[in-house]
Amino acid sequence: MGASLLWRRLWRHKLLYLFMLPGIVWFFLFSYVPLYGIQVAFRDFTFSGGFTGSPWAGLKYFRQFFDYYQSEALIRNTILISALKLVIGFAMPILLAILLNEVRHVKFKKTVQTLSYLPYFVSWVVVVTLMQRLLTPYGGPVNDLLVSIGLVKDPIRFLNNTSWFYQIIVGSDIWKNIGWNSIIYMAAMAGIDQQLYEAAKIDGAGRFRQIWHVTLPGIRNIAVILFILATGSLMSAGYEQLLLLNGPATAAIGSVLDVHVIGAGISQGRLSYAAAVGLFQSIIALVLILTVNRIARKVSDVSLF
Amino acid sequence: MKKKQSKFSRLVLAAALMTTALAGCSDNGGGNSEGSGNANAPAGDNGGTGTEKAVTLKILHNWNGSGPGDVDMTPIAEAIREKTGITVQFDYTKGSETEKVNTIFATQDLPDIYTGPAWGGELDGIVKAAKEDQLVDLSEKLASYPNLSKAIAKENVPPALYDKAIGAFGDQQYLLYQNQPATDKDAMDWLYGFYVRKDIAQKVGVDPQSVKTKDDLYNFLKKIKDAKLTENGMPVMPLGGFSNGWAVGIGNTMFYGSDYQDKGDGTLEHTFFTKAYEDYTLYYRKLIEEGLLDPETFTQTDPIAKEKINQGRIAVLAAHFPAIYDATKEYAKSHPGSDFVAVGPLERAGAEPNRPVDLGIQGNNVTVITKACKNVDAALKLLEFLASDEGFLLVHYGVEGVHWERVDGKPVAKKEFFDKFAADTTGKEKKNAGIGIGFESLTGQDRTNTLGGDIWADQERIAAMDNARKILRPNGIKVISAYNAGDVIAKSPQWETLKPSMDRIGDVWKEAVFAKSDDAALKVINALRDQMNKTGYPEAIQYVNENLKGKEVVKLQMAN
Repeated sequence: MGASLLWRRLWRHKLLYLFMLPGIVWFFLFSYVPLYGIQVAFRDFTFSGGFTGSPWAGLKYFRQFFDYYQSEALIRNTILISALKLVIGFAMPILLAILLNEVRHVKFKKTVQTLSYLPYFVSWVVVVTLMQRLLTPYGGPVNDLLVSIGLVKDPIRFLNNTSWFYQIIVGSDIWKNIGWNSIIYMAAMAGIDQQLYEAAKIDGAGRFRQIWHVTLPGIRNIAVILFILATGSLMSAGYEQLLLLNGPATAAIGSVLDVHVIGAGISQGRLSYAAAVGLFQSIIALVLILTVNRIARKVSDVSLF
Repeated sequence: MKKKQSKFSRLVLAAALMTTALAGCSDNGGGNSEGSGNANAPAGDNGGTGTEKAVTLKILHNWNGSGPGDVDMTPIAEAIREKTGITVQFDYTKGSETEKVNTIFATQDLPDIYTGPAWGGELDGIVKAAKEDQLVDLSEKLASYPNLSKAIAKENVPPALYDKAIGAFGDQQYLLYQNQPATDKDAMDWLYGFYVRKDIAQKVGVDPQSVKTKDDLYNFLKKIKDAKLTENGMPVMPLGGFSNGWAVGIGNTMFYGSDYQDKGDGTLEHTFFTKAYEDYTLYYRKLIEEGLLDPETFTQTDPIAKEKINQGRIAVLAAHFPAIYDATKEYAKSHPGSDFVAVGPLERAGAEPNRPVDLGIQGNNVTVITKACKNVDAALKLLEFLASDEGFLLVHYGVEGVHWERVDGKPVAKKEFFDKFAADTTGKEKKNAGIGIGFESLTGQDRTNTLGGDIWADQERIAAMDNARKILRPNGIKVISAYNAGDVIAKSPQWETLKPSMDRIGDVWKEAVFAKSDDAALKVINALRDQMNKTGYPEAIQYVNENLKGKEVVKLQMAN
């Protein structure tokens, strides 16, 4: 009876499920099927044995990671950089979306929107090369400008410098992703009933009051859900960006788990070790998501599940 | 009926789609030999019959930065096909060679033939692949291929490399070996050193040959810095290098002789644990702190490094001579008197002043046939031909009668091509002829000078190199034949746990160089020392000392 009810419901909403199908297939193929590879973290991977035929090694590679003298620093750096990106980077797209939502000049709004999306499609390699050119203390335009207008006496070494590292990492991440991440908020704002704004106006609310009492509550649910999902990446600070922007001078604060995993796995050929560290990252991420989800449900009644 | 037909058509369509998809997946990554082919004529018979079935072999040339010209089938590749019946498809590595080795075996995306560096993580990856049945055992076939056999004969391979790789598998033989000098006169000295722009040395009033000690070098760089030189409005950096810091660190030989040192009691210790290593690190830290060494040098890309050099913004470059000559040629041409000259020769820690320079000159390349190769005989036939004198001349000089000819028995470049190649600063013309691409790594022992010298080198370059040699090698060179402790420690039982720590030495040195203070630099070094001790260094070095007891060990070695 229950099964037939389920099928009837599925059939009734068949078009909606059809829309979901590509997403389900994508997740199944690229997120669930590769899960069988997790076992490599518990095996001594050999080229001939592969994923399923290599001998079991138990928790050997997890122990190796926690015995590694930099494991603590790697975890600390990863969490700190991710937290900075989360705290600062999470609010910025909301701010941009609100600002754009308030713009009444359609052409200007669309131009700003398009320009803000563009950096998202530029690879980190290009972004970092641009930054190297712009920020170099040897004839870089940024330093030339700062010196010429008298803001600084000597050029500043922005890159590969601990004093500027966090600002550069978080700033470039926001610049690259702010436009793209604001799309979902723009969509949520477009769905807010215009009558609410009308009612607020009648009640005497100005622009800021309307934002506070109508716009922000209107996007609250989506913001909470995105925040819960974002906490899942706290153990992942961004492989490409950190690989390219971290140098020997900033290694003490810029070495993160993602780059360590790639270095161990591909450069050193320690695939089982890399898989173990990667699995550790994923487990912590899962715990974080579950925790934040529970807190969100208690505090705001909004949660993923 | 219509419904049935429609259902049938849908089934046929689905089946067709599935078949296409499965067919797409059926090539298990080899993508290699087309058919079995019959290019396996007896070795030594390099003449093609013209009736053999065409064979295509895919070769991975695992040297970062190598690459083809603008044409796929060069005249040289064409000549090789005529001779052997084999068409070669090269795949070139862009990026880390070690990563490439690990990736191809982990993903099983294997070429027919792999060729790449005979050292470091690349060689470790190949040795691991051999141990794990990823390569073809050539032991029973090699007798038919005299050129290949000769190159891996025990007497022609450095002992440590033989023990570690070439002869490390008992009766099995997996690795072929290339580019080791066939005779003493074929030994290539790359002339690593510090080179200064001649006009800058004159401006600051220092004779480059008067710079002998580490203090002299520091004072020289300081003088350049204090002169506040600019080029196109940008400051000239006293010392710089190429991408990722290559090879500014070569000043290490002013502090210690080689990677392993005698502790004074006849036993060896890794230099990383010595006071000399600390002094070396703090010296470079001082250079960075005082703005004498380009702080971007360790993170810059090749184009940015070359741009700085081309704009004349680096006063002293540390690298090997050919790289410096090629990178500075343009600038020197447009700014007469600004060519780079060798500094020193600088003092060498632990070496008498009249001692010849100790160089580890050996082959740089290993080649293997992977288990994905469907036509091992054809692969061996190709490699045997390339390793023959005929193959060597073809690959290095071009097609006889077209690119070069014999004059009084000696190979001489045809003027038309010599001028064409010399005028092309991109090197593409030469590559389009087939010279300087992947085949060069496969030509057996290095016989460049034995067979006629580098006929494409221009006289100015040869003269400049001779000049640098006169300065840097006043007592000549001595080719190292002793055991390298680094090869022995890699065979210790602790190596699996110790290697990840030892792999960090280079990175930790750079971190220490950028540390805020000397104490902070030493702290960074000591942290890795502790980790090495925790991961088996004491036992591993004991293993090294036991195994090298009574053997001659490398204690002095310059970069080459």
